[in-house]
Amino acid sequence: MSLGKLIERLLQLVPVLLGVSLIVFVMMALTPGDPVQIMIGDQNITPEQEEALRRGLGLDRPIVERFFVFIGNALQGDFGQSFYHRRPVADVIAERLPATIELSLVALIVALVTAIPLGVLAAIRKNSIFDKLATVGSLLGVSLPGFWFGILLIMLFAVQWNILPVSGRIGYSSEIETITGFLLIDTLLRGNLPAFWDAVKHILLPAITLGLPMTAILMRVTRTSMLEVLRQDYVTFADAKGLSRARVLFRHALKNALIPTVSVAAIETGSLLGGNMIVETVFGWPGLGRLVVESIFLRNYPLVQAAVLLYAVIYVGLNFFADILYTVLNPRVKL
Amino acid sequence: MTNLQRLLLASAMAIGPVAPAAYAADLVVGFTLDADTLDPANHRKRETETVIRNLYDGLLTRDPNMVVVPEIAESMTQVSPTVYDFKIRAGIKFHDGTMMTAEDVKFSLDRVVVEGAMGNGQTSPRQSLMGPVASVEVVDGDTVRITLKEPWPILPAMLPNQQIVSKAFVERVGSEGLATEENGTGPFRLVEWRKGESIIMERFPEYYGGATDIAPVGPACVDRVIFKIIPESASRVAALLAGDVHIINELPAFSIAQVNANSGTHVMTVNGTRSFFVAMNLEGEYFDDPLVRQAAAHAIDKNLLIDKILGGNAAPINGILSPDAFGASDLPVYGYDPEMAKKLLADAGFPNGIDVVMDTEGAFKDTAEAIASLLTKVGIRTTVAVGESAQLTSKWRLQGKAPKTGDMYFSSWGNGSLDPFDIFTPTHRTNDRGNSAGYSNPAVDALLDAAATELDVAKRAGMYREAELMINADLPYLYLWVPQDIYGVSDRLSGWKPSADSRINLHDACLN
Amino acid sequence: MSMAAATPAADTIFRRNLASFMANRLAMAAAVVVVLFVVMAAFAPWLAPQDPYETDLFRRLQPPAWVEGGEWGFLLGCDALGRDIFSRIIYGARISIFVGVTVIVLATGIGIIAGLASGYLRGWVDVIISRIVDILLGFPYLIFAIGLMAMMGPGLGNIILALAYKEWVIPARVVRGETLAVRELEYVEAARALGASPRHIMLREILPNILSPVVVVSTIRMANVIILEASLSFLGLGVQPPMASWGSMVSDGRAFILEAWWVSTFPGLAILLLVLAINVASQGLRDAFDPRFHE
Repeated sequence: MSLGKLIERLLQLVPVLLGVSLIVFVMMALTPGDPVQIMIGDQNITPEQEEALRRGLGLDRPIVERFFVFIGNALQGDFGQSFYHRRPVADVIAERLPATIELSLVALIVALVTAIPLGVLAAIRKNSIFDKLATVGSLLGVSLPGFWFGILLIMLFAVQWNILPVSGRIGYSSEIETITGFLLIDTLLRGNLPAFWDAVKHILLPAITLGLPMTAILMRVTRTSMLEVLRQDYVTFADAKGLSRARVLFRHALKNALIPTVSVAAIETGSLLGGNMIVETVFGWPGLGRLVVESIFLRNYPLVQAAVLLYAVIYVGLNFFADILYTVLNPRVKL
Repeated sequence: MTNLQRLLLASAMAIGPVAPAAYAADLVVGFTLDADTLDPANHRKRETETVIRNLYDGLLTRDPNMVVVPEIAESMTQVSPTVYDFKIRAGIKFHDGTMMTAEDVKFSLDRVVVEGAMGNGQTSPRQSLMGPVASVEVVDGDTVRITLKEPWPILPAMLPNQQIVSKAFVERVGSEGLATEENGTGPFRLVEWRKGESIIMERFPEYYGGATDIAPVGPACVDRVIFKIIPESASRVAALLAGDVHIINELPAFSIAQVNANSGTHVMTVNGTRSFFVAMNLEGEYFDDPLVRQAAAHAIDKNLLIDKILGGNAAPINGILSPDAFGASDLPVYGYDPEMAKKLLADAGFPNGIDVVMDTEGAFKDTAEAIASLLTKVGIRTTVAVGESAQLTSKWRLQGKAPKTGDMYFSSWGNGSLDPFDIFTPTHRTNDRGNSAGYSNPAVDALLDAAATELDVAKRAGMYREAELMINADLPYLYLWVPQDIYGVSDRLSGWKPSADSRINLHDACLN
Repeated sequence: MSMAAATPAADTIFRRNLASFMANRLAMAAAVVVVLFVVMAAFAPWLAPQDPYETDLFRRLQPPAWVEGGEWGFLLGCDALGRDIFSRIIYGARISIFVGVTVIVLATGIGIIAGLASGYLRGWVDVIISRIVDILLGFPYLIFAIGLMAMMGPGLGNIILALAYKEWVIPARVVRGETLAVRELEYVEAARALGASPRHIMLREILPNILSPVVVVSTIRMANVIILEASLSFLGLGVQPPMASWGSMVSDGRAFILEAWWVSTFPGLAILLLVLAINVASQGLRDAFDPRFHE
């Protein structure tokens, strides 16, 4: 990937981020509901006290002015204060982001681990019963409403068999000093194996619920690209040379077949990151999605603005990453 | 397919035995919402206050029966209608080991009442909870004097909403630091706040003991307390049944039987403070007619709804006040009488019935639909429209700033202090914040205003009774019920009782 | 406009593809299931044993017929207001399928126009449309829909709009890509040389030849839209009562799952079955119609 390409990509980001900010602002301006009224709830307040509160939140300024102030501050890395947390939204989001990323990555691993073997085997035994079962089975994952499936998993594994926890990220037996914010990594870095195992147990059910829908997509891509690779000359040639079938498959074919899978996975990770508020709610997972949805309902404007911008950056970043992967890994593109 | 089905059904039907919780001295509370902040003066949410109350103590507090008792204050004296003196207890330590003084109390209350005192030009969102406080002064070294602009008899009832912070600590870390760190005088101190997931606290060994009127007095019983955030109610109940948590709040009424049937858990209830009602748009095309409103009142079988939907866990009301509130009294009842309802509707000029819409939030869809079907049976053909709470608030709570649209609004109003000032005034005074019906009666306004500053308790109660009788006759709302707050608890828990203000104070709670 | 209008070859290809789809027994079975659900939705008033909106608090959370306390007149039990779940599922099919179909038809319509214009006209049209697509893709789907619902208010029409506002981007990208691939092909060049208007070329020459992948993508997305509608219900932004989509039934019933599993389990299974059938059928369509998947 050339430097020019990189700069071009970065420049593309600018109109996207501006557009996203503008759309969010317009939507919020058109949305009924007053943050101050929501905050006060069922309590008495005098009009003067209400105005003081409104001034403190900066809501007494006209919307257009607020937009430009937001853009100006955001360019300097200041995204404002969360109305409810009364702290910089950047901090609040940063606290929640690792949990969301960790869950999404583990979900991705769950999906890859299921999808790749299924896809490869389905391709090798094309049109067999196994092929059909694997296809239908993986489609089952996309067809389940996540919140329903998640609660069923809780009923089964947490309540009935009591082998996995109902919710949360980790237990309370030891204090967790975070390094990276990813508990699975931090516990290992600290050499705390019981805590690592505990974190694994906590993330398992939410990751399966989140990852299953992706399995179908990845399996399909793997199967198709595997079929394509298997038809190519060098595989036929290797076959003819008498190399063992398994060796051909795993040394040569698989490596090439996985390129599209990895690229698609990178792009789909974006939808995992932005789509896990439901799993987070069901499993009490302290991620960003739940926070953003709550913030929309509470009209916590600064947090929604900053979070949506972040999602857009992540989305563009992942697509960029997928492009690089594709160019770097794919010999045909490189040639 | 069949295998999957069997799996799903088996899992959903049979609930296995409960294993003991992992760590003996950790009391875990399965809680609906995370705290927004740990700064006692910088939030406006019940759940946040519940968490903070275990870290910070206040001048006054409430016992489980909602009686206001001194906590950090040793005693309270009302010097004049507008002046209150609080003598501060000696020997109270902050969690950092420093001694608490009257200066800290003044500083804490000033942060709330003085405009811009939070720093950065921000005013505490809790300012309005302190009413007409004019000033807070330290007199005689250990006495704090609160002076009011006008008499405000509910000051003692409202003071438990404020907690005392350390002046030196706040000056060091600032309001921003106080959002995530704490240095209170409460029974527990903060160990770790895993944002969005849990708040872990441990016993403060040098705790002064808390309110002397609430036994036992001394450091907390359990080693650690953990508020674990589980927003989804089915997951919260599952966590209790699985033994992961020992107390859960907001247990749904239909889960009571199951929690009681499960070995190792049971249900505890307490009379709540939130009144439910249906606001009728008095400016609307049908409900401007008192006969239509009376017809609606007679159409509703409150006892059936309480019995079937709320599992019997609610007290019916005939006015806005909970039976437990100050000034509540027996009022005339609009009994369930569908024939009478049909007749009243015909008398109002609608022998063929009317078509109306009832707004509500998603959480109350079932109840609103049940009410709608009762109304429909007498000819008030009601469709339920579910809206998002922020949308509905801006549609119905207009404070007279715009003409009101809509027919009916199934809603509620909380009254944590159990004082009518907090609920009667906002919902019934002309153009007040929560007056969804658009009710306006100068006589009621005058009574509410006078009662707000009346110091004679008996006279004040009489005023509220008089106002209740007026609104009972005018019927701007269909007054429904005050539900009980329902908690699920482990059998191992002792020394804890739910409280009507929905706080979960864990100072005296033990795990066996 | 028939698919055969443009080139004689398209017709033959279509027939061959159709035959290939019909030969796929699994996909055919799935297609039959989908048709059965559509028939069920169409004939709901004749099929439902009970009035789906009739509440009866004395039947609150009544279990299915074969469980103790159940009644055969209420086969799958009753919900929190004593309404027959079986009848509600039959009626709910109407809403779920209606949302799925309407969103996809709207989105595909807009997507085709935008994609054709972008891919064929190129220039500033392409730049503007591509930017809008980029911006919309930057929003997480559900968060965008939630924001729109908060802005527009509740209701079936708004759910459809909230989903369609972003959904059109997906067919638009497919159509643009396909259009770019065929715009320089001989028959398009020929039409251009003969002086055909861009409108004619886009709609008569290009569209019929790129329709297959669009149809395939649309059916897959329809399955997704049904799940998305269920997710909006979960977040409290579902259809208005007394209407019920399957998503809103699962969502309303999930609170009871420990005590009355039937309230959310049966509508959940209904979603699972329909969406799975659509997915399997569309996978079959893709194998048969999308040339890139021909081996």
